[in-house]
Amino acid sequence: MLPARITLRTVASLLAISLVAFAVISAMPSDPVAIAIRAWNLPPDGATVAGLRAQWGLDRPFLERYGAWLSRFVRGDWGISFRTGEPVLQEFQQRLPLTLTIALSGLALAPLFAIPLGFFAALHPRGLVDRATRTLAVFVQAVPSIWLGLILLYVLGVQMRWIRPFTRDWTGLVLPIGLIALHSLAVLTRVYRRDLLEIAREPFFRTALAKGLGRGAALWRHGHAHALYAMVSTFRAEASWAVGSTAALEVLFGLPGIGQFLVESIAARDYPVLQAYVMVVALWLLVLNAGVALCLAWLGPRRA
Amino acid sequence: MKTMLRALRLSAALLASAAGFATIAHAAEPLRVGASFIASGLDPAKGSNGWALASHGIGENLFSVDKDGVLVPELADRADRIDTLTWRVTLKPGRAFSDGTPVSAEAVGAALTHTMANNKAALATGGILRFEAEDPLTIKVTTERPVPLIQALFAEWPLIVYGLKADGSAVFSGPYAVNAFKPDAEIELVANPHFDGAEKRSPVTYRKFADAQALTLALEAGELDLAFGLPAESIARLKNDPELTVKSFPVGYQYLAYLNTRQPALADARVRRAIDLAIDRAQLATAIHGGLPATGAYAPYFPFAGKAARPTDATAAAALLDDAGWTAGADGARQKDGAPLRLTVLAYPQRPDLVAMLPVVKAQLAPLGIAVETKIVENANDVAASGDYDVFLWAQHTAPSGDPAFFLNSTFRTGAGLNFTGYSSLDFDQILDGFANESDPAKRAEIAARAQEKLFEDAPVSFLLSPVWHVGLSKALAGYEPWGSDYHVLRAEIGEAN
Repeated sequence: MLPARITLRTVASLLAISLVAFAVISAMPSDPVAIAIRAWNLPPDGATVAGLRAQWGLDRPFLERYGAWLSRFVRGDWGISFRTGEPVLQEFQQRLPLTLTIALSGLALAPLFAIPLGFFAALHPRGLVDRATRTLAVFVQAVPSIWLGLILLYVLGVQMRWIRPFTRDWTGLVLPIGLIALHSLAVLTRVYRRDLLEIAREPFFRTALAKGLGRGAALWRHGHAHALYAMVSTFRAEASWAVGSTAALEVLFGLPGIGQFLVESIAARDYPVLQAYVMVVALWLLVLNAGVALCLAWLGPRRA
Repeated sequence: MKTMLRALRLSAALLASAAGFATIAHAAEPLRVGASFIASGLDPAKGSNGWALASHGIGENLFSVDKDGVLVPELADRADRIDTLTWRVTLKPGRAFSDGTPVSAEAVGAALTHTMANNKAALATGGILRFEAEDPLTIKVTTERPVPLIQALFAEWPLIVYGLKADGSAVFSGPYAVNAFKPDAEIELVANPHFDGAEKRSPVTYRKFADAQALTLALEAGELDLAFGLPAESIARLKNDPELTVKSFPVGYQYLAYLNTRQPALADARVRRAIDLAIDRAQLATAIHGGLPATGAYAPYFPFAGKAARPTDATAAAALLDDAGWTAGADGARQKDGAPLRLTVLAYPQRPDLVAMLPVVKAQLAPLGIAVETKIVENANDVAASGDYDVFLWAQHTAPSGDPAFFLNSTFRTGAGLNFTGYSSLDFDQILDGFANESDPAKRAEIAARAQEKLFEDAPVSFLLSPVWHVGLSKALAGYEPWGSDYHVLRAEIGEAN
């Protein structure tokens, strides 16, 4: 029942988002035809303007354009990019795997490290791990990942020459993935630690200790599921953050993912690309929300 | 068994070495080039690929603009006018695409017809063109609209020449051929074996860097031999690196200020001339870390560019304002009939240099008693077209196809599409009429000079700066000479070290 309800809600949300996005994108200041004429150094006469408007379908009423776009979109035809002249779906298929690799790898690495670090931080409050992860959490919240990336590029790539950050093989992905992971790791660690310590204040925890369990074993047995639940909830926010950060890091590291493509498409007011990006991000967040909801439903009964 | 394995390894190593020598005769490592742009695809009829493919040294046009800003034949040998709408274009003999097929009249006609059918940008100047091969090297071209100088039309970026293959793909004739292409990332280029001097040309890996700081860092990290379009603020640091050479060059994109002649205060040409005289272009250049004071509408390397920098004279500017009835009060503020002289000066964020110039312009007009409010607007074209401004700082390539007429006609002719200033002058329009039937470049330059003189006099625009761009070079490409804005990053001669 839950999956069916989630699916229905997801589809309805996507439809609503598509209409709002279409309206907002169409209402963006600056006309894509005017931008193209300036960017491409074309004579701005009426025939050129009319020709481009007709070629890009901008000469039709809003609702007609939206209806045509929606019917094509659901059939897998995402339109043609104004800027590149290529099918938008093809452009996304070429770039999305890289973006997903960076975002998902970073997000997957974070809990892998957050659980042991959070556990040790809770096991020894005010200990080395606790203080280090607190400092890290404050640092990554205060410093944008793109700035940190720039500093790492300069220190490790230019000054030390320890890395070649712009190589096209897998090593070129280590820093961006690491930066995504670092932010989420710091946040998730603190959430996991906080909820473990909450449990440690409960009477049943003291009972467990009185029965002879060690602090570590008691924390794991009675606190882990509770802290994991909180961490999964927080993971949703981290996944949303990763969307924007991945785009910024793609630009910084010269990675041909969807984020970099988006930045240039915004400047060109490339409506079909912007609309497709909104839909992909919306789908990503809705699927993620659904996944988190299922996860929480699964974890829920075990908390007690 | 071990002996057999050793023999196999040795054979493999020898084979690999032999293959390496066979395919890369002159350079083991490709030259590495980085820039902020890359072709979106290899289809020359789509988007702005025609421009990018020529810029990457892959494609060529029939005519082109050389490093001196002169319109010169490229794949064509000459173009002769038959009548108002008909031209005869003769191709250079012996030219071939990278697959060895000749650049023939038939191939050129087929390619450009395909482009016309698929890219509206190609129709901008002459409408739909019809091509008829008269012999292998001669094409009769019929334009839909009269074109005074078809050489300039054929130098426009959409009209790149290619060989259209049966599967719809294209082959090109430039000094480099595409070996591999990753969209938005990089192009591996090899020397086109059918272009002169191929044996001396190293392969090139051309990479895109969306972030200018990352481009700079890649150069400093030794990962690039040529970084095209470095940010101005990094130049001083890079010049201290003994491993690198930094070169700066003027580009065709000009910085100017539109003065809105429809606004009451600016309807008087004396006020507009006063503003033009009050602006100190050297200070503007300092504010954006580079650039040359404008001599007129065009970058200084064009043959039709002005020769002398636009003057600055605050005293003459004040006298013009006095003469126009805008007198300075006790506080220095100018007034006329009780109304203060207050101007709104705009810029747009897509050109950060213009935004950096805003406070300088304000500071330069303040001593004259002109109060300035500065604003940054996102939708520059819309605001400019609406006329809701007094002064608008603007960037514009004023001669993209090597001819002066396009910019003047589209921007200052009465009622023209980009005439944002509302300027209307019968005398000026009559000067521009001279372009319509004049094909001689020298005479067109004279017309351009007369038109600019008229613009200096009427001042619907103040020409500010001819900006410079910067390239960073490793020792391998220290001989590279940048020119032609971003239209010719790679070309037959890129100054490779021997």
